[in-house]
Amino acid sequence: MSGPYVPEIATDREGNEHEVQGWQGDFYGGKLGFWLFMLTEVMMFGAMFLALAYYNTLHPQDFLDASASLNRLLGGINTVILLVSALTMGLGLLKMRAGDVKGAKLMIWATIILATAFLIIKGFEWTAEYNHGIFLMHDKLLPESSLAFGQKLFFGLYFSMTGLHGVHIIIGIGLMLWLLKRINAGKVSTDHNILYLNIALYWDIVHLIWVFVFPYYYMIGAGGVTGGH
Amino acid sequence: MDTNTVNYQEERKVYYKVLVGLLLLTAVTFIQPHLFMTESTFLAQMLIAVVKAYLIVMFYMHLKGEKLIIAMVWFAISLVTVFFIIVIGIDVVNFQYGAESHITAPSAH
Repeated sequence: MSGPYVPEIATDREGNEHEVQGWQGDFYGGKLGFWLFMLTEVMMFGAMFLALAYYNTLHPQDFLDASASLNRLLGGINTVILLVSALTMGLGLLKMRAGDVKGAKLMIWATIILATAFLIIKGFEWTAEYNHGIFLMHDKLLPESSLAFGQKLFFGLYFSMTGLHGVHIIIGIGLMLWLLKRINAGKVSTDHNILYLNIALYWDIVHLIWVFVFPYYYMIGAGGVTGGH
Repeated sequence: MDTNTVNYQEERKVYYKVLVGLLLLTAVTFIQPHLFMTESTFLAQMLIAVVKAYLIVMFYMHLKGEKLIIAMVWFAISLVTVFFIIVIGIDVVNFQYGAESHITAPSAH
């Protein structure tokens, strides 16, 4: 239910009246608030990385062996996809702020397509791993299997973290579709683009998390299973 | 810092320069295990990741010049790091359930 917009008025000590800014008008406040949310993301993934590092110190050779078995080509392709998608999202925001709404929408669609490609590739990767008996609570990762214990820890964390990252990608796609809807409704425009900025920031943090996930899981074992750590 | 004004051409150039930098660093990520610091792959990979993260945070996330947000980011990272290092450090030193643990060596089972 919505009625005509009635601005809230605050009065200062001298009796002067000021219009209270809504979230659309308070650009810096909106950005600051979203950064606070993103810091909770940093702390959540940071805690997972610290757990990963701790287990790594307990089972260094198992971690190298497990890392060496991951598909670096698919992981690398996904790295480039996310990298380009961060660019398209950023360029879209620039276009929106410069008044090119159509160009901004095209860039959002490009980002959605790239994000979907990332998920499809991740799906192929997980399917291949499942077929090799490596998946959460499945075959080689079951407690009674003969796979080295450190490798079970590695793969358990690998599926947990890449899975959680994948959930963030799905949420990102949902947010971008919502953003397109808001743009079409005229709620996000050249002058009111804080929603776009925050969703672009969200997408950047999804990219940023992958910047650390990829080398830790895929690359530490690339130097050969007997060294490189 | 006025975040509402935008010089489209200038910012677009910066975006593309950062993209090239990130692509080059991604290429370095792949060749590093065979080219340099071959005995310290983990350290090398994390260093490359930190440089990539710096580029993303400063230029794509526009933190350059945002002193308050940079301070918040450092605070959050420091909080996680210090808290976990202290907690895990104390836990490791005083760990008394090695025989039953599911995270220690397989011989414990």
